[in-house]
Amino acid sequence: MTKYNYLKTLLITVASALLISSCTKEQVKPQLQDGKSTVVNDLPGDVGSTISSGFKTFYFSFTTNAKIDSGQKKSSQWDISFAREYNSYVGINNGTNDASLGFGGTGKGSMVVVNKAYDQVTEAPSDNVFTSAAITSAGWDSGNGSGWYFYDLKTHLAVPVKNRTYVLRTADGRYAKLEMVSMYKGAPAVVTDLNWPAPYFTFRYFVEQDGSRNLSTKD
Amino acid sequence: MLLYINHIQAQSSSAQIQGTVTDDKGNAVAGAAVTIIQTGQGGATTEKGKYTISNITAGVYHIRVNAIGYRSMVVKAILKTNEHLVLPISVESDMNMLNEVNINTKKYNPDNLIDLQRTPMPSMVITRKQIEQMGSRRLDEVLKEQTGLAIVNDIGSGARAIGLQMQGFDSGYTMILIDGQPMTGRNSGNFDLSRITVANIERIEIIKGASSCLFGSDAMAGVVNIVTRQHVSQSQGMAGVRYGTFNTVDANLEGESPFANGKGSGYIAGNYYRTDGFNANPYLSEGKTVPPYTSYTIQGRAKYMLSTVNTLNFTGRFASRHSVNDKSYTGSPTTDKLDEDDLNGSAVLNTNLSSGLRIKSQYYLTRYATGQNITDLTSNQVTPGNNFTQYLHRGEVQASKMWFNSLTVTSGIGTQYETMDNDAFPGGKHQQNSFLYSQGDWKVSNKVGVIGGFRLEHHSRYGSSLTPSFGINYQPLKMLVLKAAIATGFKTPDFRQLYLVFTNFAGGGYTVLGTEQFAAELKKLRDAGEISAVFPNASKVSALKPERSVSYSAGFTFTPVAAFKIDVNGFYNNVHNFINTDQVASKKGGQQVFTYFNIDKAFLSGLDVGMSWLAAKGLTIAAGYQLLYAKDRGVVDSIKAGTGNYATVYNPNTSEERRSKVSDYFGLTNRSRHMANIRFSYEYEPKGITGTFRVNYRGKYGFQESNRPNGFLDPYDTYVASFFLFNASVQKTLLNKHMAIQLTADNLFNYRDMLMPGQPGRMILAGLKYRFF
Repeated sequence: MTKYNYLKTLLITVASALLISSCTKEQVKPQLQDGKSTVVNDLPGDVGSTISSGFKTFYFSFTTNAKIDSGQKKSSQWDISFAREYNSYVGINNGTNDASLGFGGTGKGSMVVVNKAYDQVTEAPSDNVFTSAAITSAGWDSGNGSGWYFYDLKTHLAVPVKNRTYVLRTADGRYAKLEMVSMYKGAPAVVTDLNWPAPYFTFRYFVEQDGSRNLSTKD
Repeated sequence: MLLYINHIQAQSSSAQIQGTVTDDKGNAVAGAAVTIIQTGQGGATTEKGKYTISNITAGVYHIRVNAIGYRSMVVKAILKTNEHLVLPISVESDMNMLNEVNINTKKYNPDNLIDLQRTPMPSMVITRKQIEQMGSRRLDEVLKEQTGLAIVNDIGSGARAIGLQMQGFDSGYTMILIDGQPMTGRNSGNFDLSRITVANIERIEIIKGASSCLFGSDAMAGVVNIVTRQHVSQSQGMAGVRYGTFNTVDANLEGESPFANGKGSGYIAGNYYRTDGFNANPYLSEGKTVPPYTSYTIQGRAKYMLSTVNTLNFTGRFASRHSVNDKSYTGSPTTDKLDEDDLNGSAVLNTNLSSGLRIKSQYYLTRYATGQNITDLTSNQVTPGNNFTQYLHRGEVQASKMWFNSLTVTSGIGTQYETMDNDAFPGGKHQQNSFLYSQGDWKVSNKVGVIGGFRLEHHSRYGSSLTPSFGINYQPLKMLVLKAAIATGFKTPDFRQLYLVFTNFAGGGYTVLGTEQFAAELKKLRDAGEISAVFPNASKVSALKPERSVSYSAGFTFTPVAAFKIDVNGFYNNVHNFINTDQVASKKGGQQVFTYFNIDKAFLSGLDVGMSWLAAKGLTIAAGYQLLYAKDRGVVDSIKAGTGNYATVYNPNTSEERRSKVSDYFGLTNRSRHMANIRFSYEYEPKGITGTFRVNYRGKYGFQESNRPNGFLDPYDTYVASFFLFNASVQKTLLNKHMAIQLTADNLFNYRDMLMPGQPGRMILAGLKYRFF
């Protein structure tokens, strides 16, 4: 009889130990709000289009935190454009750069890649860096080191490059920093469906209004 | 169905043979094996030479008697319904026959003369009783609780791509057989086992390790054989229904009976299953990650004894599944529809000669048709999923004979023709292959047994290939058996790898081209001005070679006491010519163009431990564990050499990039290093109560790359966390075992993870079963 009791105790112990470890696993999303930055959630791109039909470019202003009509393309009204596949190529507004969608306009935009976490980017790089390392747009990182996402070869899903921040000069010449978070609806920590709705952009940015290079978003 | 049962009610039959085996001097012969050749029924004689075989269907039989020191002997017997025949048998002594008699009372299998538990590689059997105790409904539910097996989603092939992983091999490398013949119908290599009901299954046989020696291409990881009901001895009918969580209904109706005075027997069963599915994704406002579906299955078998020597067997199965998954991520609604039909049929002539030679001649046909598309309900844009019809015809003759009471040789010869009509391939495709195989199972002495064999296959495209295998077991002590085996496997490229022309407009716009279509399709893209760069490896695209593997396995079975047994087995699978996709070109928009290459070598190695212990009367504890290392050798070499992206690992916590080490490499995605299970089953016979409690553990496994792309899973990538699943069931029989009620709970603590879209939450079902006659 004691043998059975022993067995029972053992069973209960094992079962309760396992019980504690058995709970539902949540995928935790990072906190984007820092009190200073503007967070944009699920900004829809040209949803419903496909690679074969092409995606209509849209333009976005940091000043109004909204899309700008494409008729204003040659003005300084917008700061970043979302072009090409899935509107995933984020480009600058520069009137003198023929690769920029604002070419021929009044925009003074420029952009450089900083391989640091968003909150650790506290100062815009020098003009030298903006001259030597400027990029016009950032999208798929196929090994170029400047894109904001890459494709996983097994799941065929776009994964954001971590700790990659873009420091920009906006259309009117102010310094800003930008982090692209996701192109999938709801910006999940991990995308688990090949047909997850896209493009819906989640990103955050901070524009230094006083014109200085200070980009600190820490309190 | 009911009419059928009424009709067969009158013909219940159960004859019996008994008698004494004596030698030429009239002395009783103890320990002689008396077996009915046609049915395999039988046993050993007692001290007084007596034997009894009961529950025999009326008919004409050959009864074989084997005894040490005596000549093997076959006697003919005619049995009428309910007859008790007394049959004394006299045997002649033979001094050349002093080997121990092999008493094999296993029921003889009309569908396959090779016993799947007698092949070089380790095997296991899941019995009808075990399946019933678990209360499982579909094949995937049964298999995912077995050691070393896992059901995994293939995210990159769409939300419906799910399959069985065995010893770390993807679903495409495990052959799924029904009564010894291959089933077809895969989604990018993934075989969705939930389309198969376990209601009418007699047992499931699993071989882990390369088995191409017997089964040919695709049996590289192993084999899962579904054995449907084979032997009918009396008229009976059964009706059962289960209902529970997610509006799951599992209803079964089956009837079986002998007919034509015991010369024939038949069995037919129907199954209806439906489920609302389950959603593991909190971002889905509507729709499921385990899709809802309705499925009908009808399956049956008819057997007719043409003569004392020849028996005809017909088996058939038809299953149909319809599934609609309306999804919405708080907007962006889509509908994902699937319709699939699955047909399997066999005509078998079994010839059992009195010399002991058994011959099986078989024609097998399977047809699988599927249509699956996703429609965007806003734009009405249709994304094609899987749309194809596949046929496989196979003719095979198998022969088996035992020599010197110790060596069984089974050989087969056959040919098969396969057609594929897939919307994603230009035109209909077909292939043909012929095969010849032989296996010898030799009991060398009381301590040593050897199993060896080979298969020669000639494929219309890939030419000939030879796959040998060899296994040995040695029993130095009564309680210890040592085993070692080596076997080879191969897998010819599938239709998809040859003919696919696919551009994923929904998921990034990349294009995948089968190697046979590659040159023409790349030219089309170039002429259309879509290509921006063609990589140097494009010139290396050539005819794909079959993938090959060598499996090594070694271990022991230790049985210190009758109530306790432990099995330990190490395995090592070395895969060559592993087929993988690689980028060959870029389109103007930056999208990749992929094709297939025989590139890397991979290895999958580990340890498989299984134990069972009869802890107390009625209480059995069984446990299993698998340790697995699944790695791509190409990745290991690239890390060592510091090639390209492989050279670095990025730590997002410190924002540091450093030189990668081989130890940073976790292995192939979707593979857990540790998997374990434990099962308690309790049976209290006087009250007709049985119950099980099962715990399954799966260690963490890689989901996909994260942070920075470096081509392999490093410690900072996305992993699915380890987890435990608890399952329990309890059953009670009533009304003299005519009725049974059952309560089942799967995933008792409702464990969910959105990274495991295919794992349902808690399911509680209640069931009622009634047996007629």
